[in-house]
Amino acid sequence: MMKPARRIFGLLTGLAVPLLCVGAWELASRQSAAHAWAFVPVNEVWRSFWALLNNGDLALNFLASLRSMLTGLILGSLLGIAVGALMGVSRIANILIGPLYHMVRQVPLMGWMPLMGLWFGTGTFSKNLMVVVAVFYPMVLHTYEGIRNAEKHHLEVAQVFCFTRWQTFVQVSLLDALPSIFTGFLNALAFAWVATVGSELLFGTGAGLGSLMLIAQSASEMEVVIVCIVAIGVTGCLMNYGIGRIRKWLLGWRYM
Amino acid sequence: MAARLALYVNEEETVEAAGGTLSIRGLCKSYALEDRQVSVLKDIQLDIKPGHFVCIVGPSGCGKSTLLRLIVGLDSDYAGEILLDGARITAPSLDRGIVFQDHRLFPWMRLDENIALALLNHDYPKAEKERRVAEYIRLVNLTGFEKARPHQLSGGMAQRAAIARALVNEPRILLLDEPLGALDALTRVYLQKELQRIWMERRVTMIMVTHDVEEAVYLGDEIIVMDAHPGRIKRSIKIPLPHPRDRASSPLQDIREEILNELTATSPEPDHLEEAVRI
Repeated sequence: MMKPARRIFGLLTGLAVPLLCVGAWELASRQSAAHAWAFVPVNEVWRSFWALLNNGDLALNFLASLRSMLTGLILGSLLGIAVGALMGVSRIANILIGPLYHMVRQVPLMGWMPLMGLWFGTGTFSKNLMVVVAVFYPMVLHTYEGIRNAEKHHLEVAQVFCFTRWQTFVQVSLLDALPSIFTGFLNALAFAWVATVGSELLFGTGAGLGSLMLIAQSASEMEVVIVCIVAIGVTGCLMNYGIGRIRKWLLGWRYM
Repeated sequence: MAARLALYVNEEETVEAAGGTLSIRGLCKSYALEDRQVSVLKDIQLDIKPGHFVCIVGPSGCGKSTLLRLIVGLDSDYAGEILLDGARITAPSLDRGIVFQDHRLFPWMRLDENIALALLNHDYPKAEKERRVAEYIRLVNLTGFEKARPHQLSGGMAQRAAIARALVNEPRILLLDEPLGALDALTRVYLQKELQRIWMERRVTMIMVTHDVEEAVYLGDEIIVMDAHPGRIKRSIKIPLPHPRDRASSPLQDIREEILNELTATSPEPDHLEEAVRI
């Protein structure tokens, strides 16, 4: 545990560069009217933030994005862990699924959008599916790696105690893979958030921070766009921090 | 040697034990290294009676750890025969336990959970499993540490937990692969005494691989001296002294000196590159 004084100092140091950027931004906006259009003054962004907060637009769209992301994160994680684990424990499964997985993984996420729009429309399903796919990739990879790199010494103990394959998987491999799976989840979290906003921006339907940005952009309300950008950044940052804490709490034995 | 030892020979003590006779006949083991076969164990003959404590000493690369892995069943690719009470060993079984040099406890589990896990494939009722876990935790003097996680235990405590985990199945044979090799000198001496006490209480057949000749003569009824390249049994020395033993007794010191002289007559380091490859 760090001392409180050091923690506060650390926090302030971490905020120094972002605050400097805000200062530079404000400076830029005061240069001329044209500048003020491109770099909306900070107080205007602030006012817009309050307005969006009060009329409920921010909450509505934020919650829509959050729900879309969480749905995709949960489904994609479960699916990714299942497929990654299968590839990790079964050589045949790895031979069958592996090449396809690595091939499909090379296609940028946004590359699937036209096809998905064509197959499933531009509604909630397509948006959720994008997030599921974004989460699926890193989860498969990290689960697979984690299980493949399970401590050989632990597996020998399982062998000595005559564990079945299933027992070995549940009691040893999966737990040895947990740190790697968590790393995958941290990656997935970032991808999920990006995919959520990205799919909203591209499909442009329904509620969501991405949709709100799109509408604001066409209405030349740059302050709204900036509110959305900051909201997306701050949320992602907080989620990352939260998962990091959960990992430390859950896998405390790894860090002793 | 024989004449000198005759002074200490007692009647061969008869031990009551539920099986645990190990017979090894013409055991050979080799590995493919690049395009050649490297012989690791050659024509091993060994008979171990139930309830005996046998120590295996020898230079690096003499295949003593490989021998234990074959006996426990982690490796079934060998020529010759390894028989436990007449049955050929081909795979691990709950009637053989092993303690490794590292404790190999699962870091995500508490001590009692780690030990209970060894009983996973036994049909005992839950209460019986709990009773056994508690009994073996008591046997290794770890009562009070049931809820500790492995990282909270000292090296010696973790190794005692590993011994409890290996014994909780009540195996006929306990194999010990340099179990005290990574511990500091004081802990090692303490655990040697503990091991002797546990062995005398349980009378389970124990086979221990060690680098420490003093440890071997202190604990063993029989010392198997191995030679390397290929790994083979050079000599077997019976130590028919009763337990518990006095570490400083002159007969033990004499035997220890003799074995040490024998092991260090030539350089214990491998003198060819391919022999240095740890298999």
